[in-house]
Amino acid sequence: MEKKIGVYLCTGCGIGDALDVAALAKVATGEHKVPVCRQHGFLCGEEGRKLIEDDLQQGVNTMVIAACSPRVMTDVFDFGADKVLERVNLREQVVWSHPAGDEDTQMMAEDYLRMGLTKAKEMEPPVPFQGENLSKRILVVGGGLTGLTAAKEAAGAGYDVVLVEKSDTLGGYVKNVHSVPPLGPPYEEPQSFDVEALVSAVTGSDKIKVYTGAQIQKIAGAPCMFDVTIQSNGSSVSERVGAVVLATGSVPYDAEKLAHLGYGSHADVVTADRLEAMLKEGRVVRPSNGQPAKSVAFVLCAGSRDPEHLPYCSAACCVESLKQAKVLKQQNPDMPVYIFYKDMRATGNYELFYKQVQKDGVVFVRGSVTAVEDDGSGALTVAAEDVLTRAPIVSESVDLVVLATGMVSTASLGKPYKAQQPKEGEEELEVPADTILVSNLLNLEYRQGPEVPALKYGFPDSHFICFPYESRRTGIYPAGTVRAPMDYARAMDDATGAALKAIQCVEMTSQGKAVHPRAGDLSYPEFFMQRCTQCKRCTEECPFGAINEDEKANPLPNPTRCRRCGVCMGACPERIISFKNYSVGMIGNVIKTIEVPEEDEEKPRIVVLACENDAYPALDMVGIRRAQYNPWVRVIPVRCLGSMNLVWIADALSKGIDGILLLGCKHGDDYQCHFVKGSELANIRMSKIKETLDRLVLESDRVRFEQVSITDYGRLPQILDDFAATLENVGPNPYKGF
Amino acid sequence: MEPKYVSLEMRDYIVSMGAETVNWCMQCGLCTNLCPWRLVPGETSEKFNIRHMQRLGQMGMEGFEDEHILFACTTCSMCQSNCPRGVKIVDNVRAMRASIVGAGMAPANLRPILGSAHANGNPWSGPREKRTAWQQGLEVPTFGPDTEYFLFVCCHSCYDPRSTKVAQSIVKLLKAAGISFGVIGNEESCCGESMRKLGDEELFQKLAQSNIELFNAKGVKKIITTSPHCLWTFTQEYPELGGRWEVIHYTQVLAQCVQDGRLKLSKDGSKKVAFHDPCYLGRHSGVFDAPRQLLENAVDGGTVELSRSRELSLCCAGGGGRIWAEVPMGERFGELRVTDAIDKGAKVLATACPYCMNMLIDACNSLGKQEQLEIAELSELLAANL
Repeated sequence: MEKKIGVYLCTGCGIGDALDVAALAKVATGEHKVPVCRQHGFLCGEEGRKLIEDDLQQGVNTMVIAACSPRVMTDVFDFGADKVLERVNLREQVVWSHPAGDEDTQMMAEDYLRMGLTKAKEMEPPVPFQGENLSKRILVVGGGLTGLTAAKEAAGAGYDVVLVEKSDTLGGYVKNVHSVPPLGPPYEEPQSFDVEALVSAVTGSDKIKVYTGAQIQKIAGAPCMFDVTIQSNGSSVSERVGAVVLATGSVPYDAEKLAHLGYGSHADVVTADRLEAMLKEGRVVRPSNGQPAKSVAFVLCAGSRDPEHLPYCSAACCVESLKQAKVLKQQNPDMPVYIFYKDMRATGNYELFYKQVQKDGVVFVRGSVTAVEDDGSGALTVAAEDVLTRAPIVSESVDLVVLATGMVSTASLGKPYKAQQPKEGEEELEVPADTILVSNLLNLEYRQGPEVPALKYGFPDSHFICFPYESRRTGIYPAGTVRAPMDYARAMDDATGAALKAIQCVEMTSQGKAVHPRAGDLSYPEFFMQRCTQCKRCTEECPFGAINEDEKANPLPNPTRCRRCGVCMGACPERIISFKNYSVGMIGNVIKTIEVPEEDEEKPRIVVLACENDAYPALDMVGIRRAQYNPWVRVIPVRCLGSMNLVWIADALSKGIDGILLLGCKHGDDYQCHFVKGSELANIRMSKIKETLDRLVLESDRVRFEQVSITDYGRLPQILDDFAATLENVGPNPYKGF
Repeated sequence: MEPKYVSLEMRDYIVSMGAETVNWCMQCGLCTNLCPWRLVPGETSEKFNIRHMQRLGQMGMEGFEDEHILFACTTCSMCQSNCPRGVKIVDNVRAMRASIVGAGMAPANLRPILGSAHANGNPWSGPREKRTAWQQGLEVPTFGPDTEYFLFVCCHSCYDPRSTKVAQSIVKLLKAAGISFGVIGNEESCCGESMRKLGDEELFQKLAQSNIELFNAKGVKKIITTSPHCLWTFTQEYPELGGRWEVIHYTQVLAQCVQDGRLKLSKDGSKKVAFHDPCYLGRHSGVFDAPRQLLENAVDGGTVELSRSRELSLCCAGGGGRIWAEVPMGERFGELRVTDAIDKGAKVLATACPYCMNMLIDACNSLGKQEQLEIAELSELLAANL
């Protein structure tokens, strides 16, 4: 694109009062010989916008707007995707956080303008990726409550659905239950659930194609271009779909492992499933003698919240047991019923149900069960350490003990997939491998493994804090109990949510746009393959498994799987991965354009690479709160700290920049990185920076990584000033002036 | 530790005695935290935990019969009015007591009291024929067909020498206000409120039946009570037994008269007065403003609110039969109340309940603060300013 650059300096919001705007304009018109440079006191107003639009008529196609933070006024300063726009943050990060009329504040503003101009000169308008033969159909894997609901909802929104169910009939677990906990006011009684109506809605819809007795043999491709091979009754069928809802549910925890609760040694110790089946049959009996059970004790958390078994809470068993207890009380109000629990987790409106079951006279015992024993007459007693009376207690004899076994996600049922081992002699990657369990649900043809990566306990990984519906495979949305333990009501909500995510995905992808979290982004990484050394870092490190590999280990990018974080760009030692508007060279040049004063001027320079999702907005908030920090910093927003390429650090240090501060998100088990692994990868790369520093004979104190969240604005000035103080002790970078 | 055994039979028995909501309790423990027993040291405070006591009731487990536990509750309702589950904790306490007392196992110190109520129609061992002795020197009208209000005087104010002044003051005030009222006399019996709280259900039924028959026979339609305890049982417990009258506390009648201009009070005294909300007038019956309005009209030295007042008022420890309990010095709630008043700079601590007056006087004396703080019943302050 032949560029004609326009620079627009806003003097409103205190910018004009704090800075020498004429001198600032000279950076554009003098140093950078920009043909158009205008000032306005209210650039985001109607008149200001018109000023820019008039220039667009005159051929300006690349704009550098030096005004407020790029995070605000995005609608006003949107001139279309065919233009190049770079925002220079003079307001929040210069004049609102530094003293007015100060020489150093002015230098900061001028540097930021230089950096913006450098970037604008190198950026190109993104050209959206367009695949071929795009499909907007949605594949739902699993025909239980969640899968049926997702299929019905997606079809209801006008999308074609392919539903694959392993067994011969639809309905799943809920088909076999007697009743479900109350779904509406007054939340006091169990209700029947018409699963047949849901099944007929699905089978009767001409938008839904159902495969029963079927499994996924293979899924190849990428969002809007998934080629699914379905094995159904011995034959293989191929379907092209756009997105996938994974709704394969869970299985109950294996009660054979619960011998300490009497399972296996006493015939009258049964699982909640077994009781449900008996309730459905209409006859609750003691398996030992076939006689009706006249009294029942429930043991909750049977295998859940137990480090020896399932360490997590299975979320539904409390209310499920309340429901079963209530059904028993409905059938016989005088029946003695006990519930032994750790914590009664009957949240929301289920509180009313819990209260009702208490009113019905069910005895609740809070504490851990210590023994389930034969009382000598063939009946059972349950002993527990009762927290509430601080004493061991023993129940009256009961006929039946019901173990409320926990939920095990079907995604967790499989052995870990071993990523390809590096060949002998190759440098070993220190990136921790993702957990991918070969659970035979999706059988993805992805280089990193055949299923969605798992977090703890085998549940599909997602950004639990901010984006629970996501998986780490774009276009694949786990829903229901495969994703996390939940009850019927929540599984139905979950199904609807996942259907909506799938719809968003096919719509965005078909327009060449990124999905969450850079929703709408039209840029995508392009690989300059001639210089690829087949090192596999991009394919290994992509948090979303977007890049496949050919037999010669060449990366095969799948742009519609990509979330546009730039982790591959940061990983590539050859710097061959670039976006139209973001590349290693571009940011390198931005760093090089910073003016580094001579050593005797005693004005150090610090490059801050800030994650634009959390750290950068936090820095804006520092300005909004008018907190002050040192004027030596030059902040460069990055898509994700994982897109940081080590060459930037070498670029900065060899130019005489005194220090580099990386501001990224929290990593670890409870990570906050929008791109899951970006911040962690940046941290791993940092451990390799020593080599670069040694080569330059520089101190390791010059580079620092800090984890900050968006709420850390109160802490940020201190972090920036502490780093400046450290650098003062280390002394100036000897490369200044080279 | 030896295991304890759950007994659903015992649980169901307690429920049948009136602990209808004991199963609703989810054992959150808010009750125990709000209990005034947490504010004092001592053996009862250490042993009595209302949450735990209800737990034992829920499970029908033994352990609640210990006197320090079973009879510790003053039924102040601080817990009950704040229970997130709406558990009727006071009823549960009463039912658990009844399950023991009803079986003939009342503690020794309570037997003379219950016995007197049986024999004399009052718990104070006063002869029935002396019930009207407090009227000496006063012309107290007798209730007749044309009388509007029946004035029911609490047994405490009939027999306790200090408390008779309360009855006398109230009579003077009602007369001054021109209210049509009268008493029945020796045939009246104790209202039974505290007897029932102690768990003697049978005695309560007897007293209540006797009163209901008497009042109805005399044609009673409206009742003024001197004590909030009588007020509460007449309004909350008698109706289902057949006693349905319009019942109000004397402070309510007088406040209305002051508002209507029928009762003129001169402002007198330069002492600052604090008001102690009786549990059975305030939290139990919702009467908070009437006594305050009366005080405003009768006190010149100004009034002051205690830090714990109205719905959060601290119990005097006289309810639930605790007026007959022996409590060591340093463990009496009334002592905290006296200190509250002194801390706020009050010179007089007024209340509107004979039990409260009794408990606060004892507490003031045990602290030796008689010189600093005067304890008065509201009617006495008002009558002095007629």
